[in-house]
Amino acid sequence: METRLMQFARALRAAGVPVSMAETVDAAGALTALGIKDREPFRISLRSTLIKRTIHLPVFDELFPIFFDGKAELPPDMDNALENLSDEEAEQLALALSQLKDNIADALRRLLRGEPLTRQDLNQLAAMTGLDRARNMRWNEWMVRRMQAALQHDSVRRAMAEIAKLLEQVGFSKERLDELRAMLQANIEAETGQLQNFAGQRITDNMQARPASEDVEDLLHAPFGRLGEDEMNVLRQEVRRLSAALRSRISLRQRRQKTGTLDLKSTIRRNLGHGGVPFTLSYKRRQKKPRLVVICDVSTSMRYCTELMLGLIHAIQDQISRTYAFAFNDHLEYITPDLAHGSAQEAVDRVLVRMPPGHYSTDLGGSLAEFDREWLDLVNHRTTLLMVGDGRNNFRDPETGIFQEMARRCTRTIWLNPEPPMLWGTGDSDMNEYLPFCDHVLQVQTMAELTAAVDELLTR
Amino acid sequence: MPDAFSSPNQVRESLHDQGYVCSSEIATITYLSDQLDKPLLIEGPAGVGKTELAKVVAAATGRELIRLQCYEGLDETKALYEWEYAKQLLYTQLLRDKLQEVLASAGSLAESADRIAAEENVFFSMRFLLQRPLLKALLSPEPVVLLIDEIDRADAEFEAFLLEILSDFQISVPELGTLTARVQPLVFLTSNNTRELSEALKRRCLYLFLNYPELEQEIDVVNLKVPELDGALTRQAVEMVQGLRNLDLRKHPSISETLDWARTLAVLNAERLDRGLVSDTLNVLLKHERDLKRVQQRLEPMSGDGPEYQGPEDEDDHTRYL
Repeated sequence: METRLMQFARALRAAGVPVSMAETVDAAGALTALGIKDREPFRISLRSTLIKRTIHLPVFDELFPIFFDGKAELPPDMDNALENLSDEEAEQLALALSQLKDNIADALRRLLRGEPLTRQDLNQLAAMTGLDRARNMRWNEWMVRRMQAALQHDSVRRAMAEIAKLLEQVGFSKERLDELRAMLQANIEAETGQLQNFAGQRITDNMQARPASEDVEDLLHAPFGRLGEDEMNVLRQEVRRLSAALRSRISLRQRRQKTGTLDLKSTIRRNLGHGGVPFTLSYKRRQKKPRLVVICDVSTSMRYCTELMLGLIHAIQDQISRTYAFAFNDHLEYITPDLAHGSAQEAVDRVLVRMPPGHYSTDLGGSLAEFDREWLDLVNHRTTLLMVGDGRNNFRDPETGIFQEMARRCTRTIWLNPEPPMLWGTGDSDMNEYLPFCDHVLQVQTMAELTAAVDELLTR
Repeated sequence: MPDAFSSPNQVRESLHDQGYVCSSEIATITYLSDQLDKPLLIEGPAGVGKTELAKVVAAATGRELIRLQCYEGLDETKALYEWEYAKQLLYTQLLRDKLQEVLASAGSLAESADRIAAEENVFFSMRFLLQRPLLKALLSPEPVVLLIDEIDRADAEFEAFLLEILSDFQISVPELGTLTARVQPLVFLTSNNTRELSEALKRRCLYLFLNYPELEQEIDVVNLKVPELDGALTRQAVEMVQGLRNLDLRKHPSISETLDWARTLAVLNAERLDRGLVSDTLNVLLKHERDLKRVQQRLEPMSGDGPEYQGPEDEDDHTRYL
C-alpha cells in the first residue's frame, strides 16, 4: 500500500498538485486511523491530507479511481458468444467469416470469443499509438480512440452487419443472431473500458516517471509573443509563485514602516529594563492601505500578452485588497468582481469572454474619458495608477488632458508597455504623448521584465 | 489524551444531536482531525456553516470553545499573551517596603543583586501574564476546541507565527520558556478564501472544502431548524434557493439565509410560494440591489395571470420562478 501511495503522490505532483513529504506521511497516518477496507473513508482520508487547494480537487477526483479502483489489473468482463452455438451454427458462422478480409475476420472472431487483450497486446498498442509518450490526462480520450482504431472496432461492427445478412440467408435463427450481436456489442464495450483504464494508468505512470520540466529560467527571458501553450502554462505558474513572493515582501515593508501615535503598552514594555523610565518610545504601526487602480488594454494588438497581464492583475488583487481593475478595448469595464473569485485561469477567461478583442476598435482616449466621467473619485493621494497597454489608439483623440489630470491626482503613475521604446510614437501609437505624465514607463516584453516591474510597483 | 470521538459515525450522530446536519465527508474528516491531532482547515463560501461546525463540535464534546477572530493587523499581543505592565508596576510600588527588608540585611552590593534576582520570578510569573485566546487554549487543563476564524484576514506573518502552535502545540515566551499544551486542543481554522494561504500552513492542516449543500441535505437542515414550516413548502423554498445559486449573482444566498427565509415564511403563515410573496420576501435572501433587480426581472413574466404553485406534480419546475 505504501508504494502505491507514493506512486499516487508522484502522479499528483506530476499533474501540478504540490504534495509534500509531510502530507504523504499524514495520508499514511490517516489510513492507519481509518483503515483501508471501505472505499469512501479511504478516499476522504487521502483527499483531506493530500489536497489543500480547491482548484486541485478535480485532479484528485480524476486520478483516484485510476489508481485505487484497480480495474486496470483485472481482465475485463467479457463473454464467449460462440460456446452456446450448435455445430451447424458454428459451421455457418465460420463460412460467413471466411467471406471477410482475414484481419477483420480475426478481430471479429476474437471479440465474439470474448478474449481479453493480454498485457503484451496492450503494450504493443501503447507503443503503436504513442501512448508511451503521453504525459497529460487530457490525451486520455484521444488515446483510447486511437487504440480502438488500431483494434478496428468500427470495421468489426460493419463486418458483423454484413455477415448478419449472410447468416440470415442461410437460415440462422433471428433470436440467435440478435443474441450474437448483443454479446459482440457488450464485449466491445468491455474492451473499451479496459482500454480506458489502461490508458489512464499508463499516462499516470508516464507522468510520475518524467515530471514536467521546470526549466523556467529560459522562459523568463522569452518574449510573450513567441510562447507556446505549454510554455504559457509554466509562466502561469511563475505568476503564481511571484504573487506568493509579493505577499511576504509587502508585509515586511509594512512592518518596518514607523508612523502613528505613541503605543503606551509597548513603550512601557520596552523600558522595563530602565525601571519604567521611558528612554525609547515606540509607536503604533499604522496599516498602510495602498490603493491601486489598474487599467489594462485587452485589444487585439495586446492579445499575445493580455492573458499574462490579467493573470498578474489577478495576483496583485489577491495581495492588495484595494485594487480597482479596469479593462478596455472599445469601451471601459470594471473587472475587479470578475477577478475576485476562482482561479486565475477562470477569472481571466471570464474577462476575455466578456470583452472579446475586436478589429481596430481600440479606443484608449474614449476609455480614459469614460474613466474620467464614472470613476475619477477612485484616484486620490493614496492611489497608484498602473496602466498596462501599448498606447495604440487607432488615431483617435488621445485625451492627454484627462490622463494628465489622473496622473496629477495620484501618487504615482506607472505604465507597462510590451512594445520596445523604438516603436513608441510610430503608426497609431500615442505613447510619446502620455510619456511626460508617467513617473515610470517600463517595457515588459518578458516575464523577467514583468517581475522587475512588479517589484518596482510594490517596493517604493 | 482521550479522543473526543470513537468513529466517524459517532461524530455524525453527536453533531446531529446538536442540530448540525453533516455529510459523511465532514464526519470522517472531523474524526481524522481528532485522531491524528491535526488542525482542520475549512474553506468555502460565506455562510455554509464553517464556524458553526467548530461550535457544534465543542457542544457535542462538552468542551469549551475558545475563539480567535482574525483581522488585519492582529498580532501576538492580541492573540497570544501580554504582560500586565500596570499590575507589575503597581506590585513593585506596593512591595517596596518588603523589598527594602529583603535588602536590608545584605552585606554587599553583589549580595543585594543576588537577592533581587532570587525574587525576580515573582514578577515574571503566570500571575502577571494576560492570557489571550491561543495561550488560553494551550494552558487549559481541560481539553478545549480552538477556533481560529477567518485566518485569511490576518497578515501573512501571523500565519507564520501560528506554525509553531499548529504543529507542536507549544509556544515560546522569552521570560518563561516554552509552554507546551497540557491537553492538545481540537483546532479548527476557517477561511473564506479571499487570499491564498501559505503552503507551510496548509501542510500542517487537514483540508475540508465545504460547499453549498445538496438539495436533500439542505431540506434536512431546514426541517431540523425550522420545524414549524410545512414540509412541501420547505422543499419548494429550498429548491428555489438552490435555483438562485445557479444564477450569476454577486452574493449567493447561504444556508443561514435559507433559514432566515424559511423562518420568515413560517412567521407569515405562508401556505404556498407565489410571485407576490417571493418578491416581497426576496430581500431576506439577497443582499445586493443588483441581485434583487435581476431576480425580480426573472419573476416578472409570471405576473400576468397570478401564477400559483400548482401542487407537487411540477416539483422540478422551480426554475420557472427564476
